[in-house]
Amino acid sequence: MVASGQLAPGAELPSVRDLAVKHAVNPMTISKAYSLLEAEGLLERNRGRPMTVAAQARSASPLTKRLQQIQPLVEQTVLAAKQLELSEPELLKSVRRNWENDSE
Amino acid sequence: MSDSAVQASHLSKAFGAKQVIDDLSFAVSPGDVVGVLGKNGAGKTTLLELMLGFTPASGGAVSVFGHDSRRLPGNIKARIGFVPQQDELLEQLSVADQLRVIASFYSQWDAEFIGKLCDEWGVIPGARIKSLSVGERQKLSILLAFGHRPDLLVLDEPVASLDPMARRQFLEQLVETSVEGNCAVVFSSHIVSDIERLANRIWILKDGRLAWQGDLDSLKESIVRLHVRGTPEVLASLEIPEALSIRRDGDFATVVVRDWKPESLELLRKKYSVTVQAESLSLEEIFLELHR
Repeated sequence: MVASGQLAPGAELPSVRDLAVKHAVNPMTISKAYSLLEAEGLLERNRGRPMTVAAQARSASPLTKRLQQIQPLVEQTVLAAKQLELSEPELLKSVRRNWENDSE
Repeated sequence: MSDSAVQASHLSKAFGAKQVIDDLSFAVSPGDVVGVLGKNGAGKTTLLELMLGFTPASGGAVSVFGHDSRRLPGNIKARIGFVPQQDELLEQLSVADQLRVIASFYSQWDAEFIGKLCDEWGVIPGARIKSLSVGERQKLSILLAFGHRPDLLVLDEPVASLDPMARRQFLEQLVETSVEGNCAVVFSSHIVSDIERLANRIWILKDGRLAWQGDLDSLKESIVRLHVRGTPEVLASLEIPEALSIRRDGDFATVVVRDWKPESLELLRKKYSVTVQAESLSLEEIFLELHR
């Protein structure tokens, strides 16, 4: 949501407590997620105030970081393709087709 | 004295020759939400009853807020909320009377809070208990355990009969209670997805022992499924000491391992010259794998 701009820089995030109760999830899960996003530079912690989306959030994420993020999905796709006995060119062709459809 | 809400060391319980709880040691801290998983008959109810001193241990000891569970003083009992698997409601009373009876045991009973929850959960004070459905009885039992704002909540399959809406409302309340009151929660359930959402610590009870006790994240890092690709001969020679199960099919093998370490991936790749990918499992899959 940060990457897509749905949450603009400076936007305030709900408190850990509110988000945990709202989604019936252990608060430690939420605060771990917030900490991860903070470490990635997407969120900023503000003393005594809600966390906010970092000003540089969209552009701050370097290529390697973004690739790392998508890596598990890529691994899964490659694994599935191998199990389905698809060749590399066949998979790439499918990826390309999806890429082009999406950008139209 | 200790800061733990519950502390057990070498706790055991036998019924005749059957060892139901076998040498368990654990601690529950304020703010912890412990999810207890186990098959039918694994000893979950016995464990919860031992914790609260309802039944004597055959060996070891368990304490609540630093006091031996078998001799809990009144001021400690007043800090405990318990939802039994079989409710203990009084058939001839109305809901309001049942609430009044329980409230009279506690000086700190929060009538306003319970009134609000009755409204939200659709519990009708004027209804007769004998006319309630199983789910409505369960909601009332839960309210009775929440009303005095306990510091330790023990719930034995609290959601088994609740509809999805009521279950969700209960789960939200449970999170709120654990966060606001820094309450320690121990709850058993067969709804693994609920435990996965709510608990920060997991106990998996199997044959009277804890097949796992620890935080959810470490459990999910520890037990993973490996997808291995190599020649059938190489796959047949695979020896992985921590494997819980191995399935081979032609050029593929899937192996579920415990005590997994990410650096083992490279070791496996080199040792067997195979391609290996690790996949993390849901708590439900982990539970099933541990019982294979």
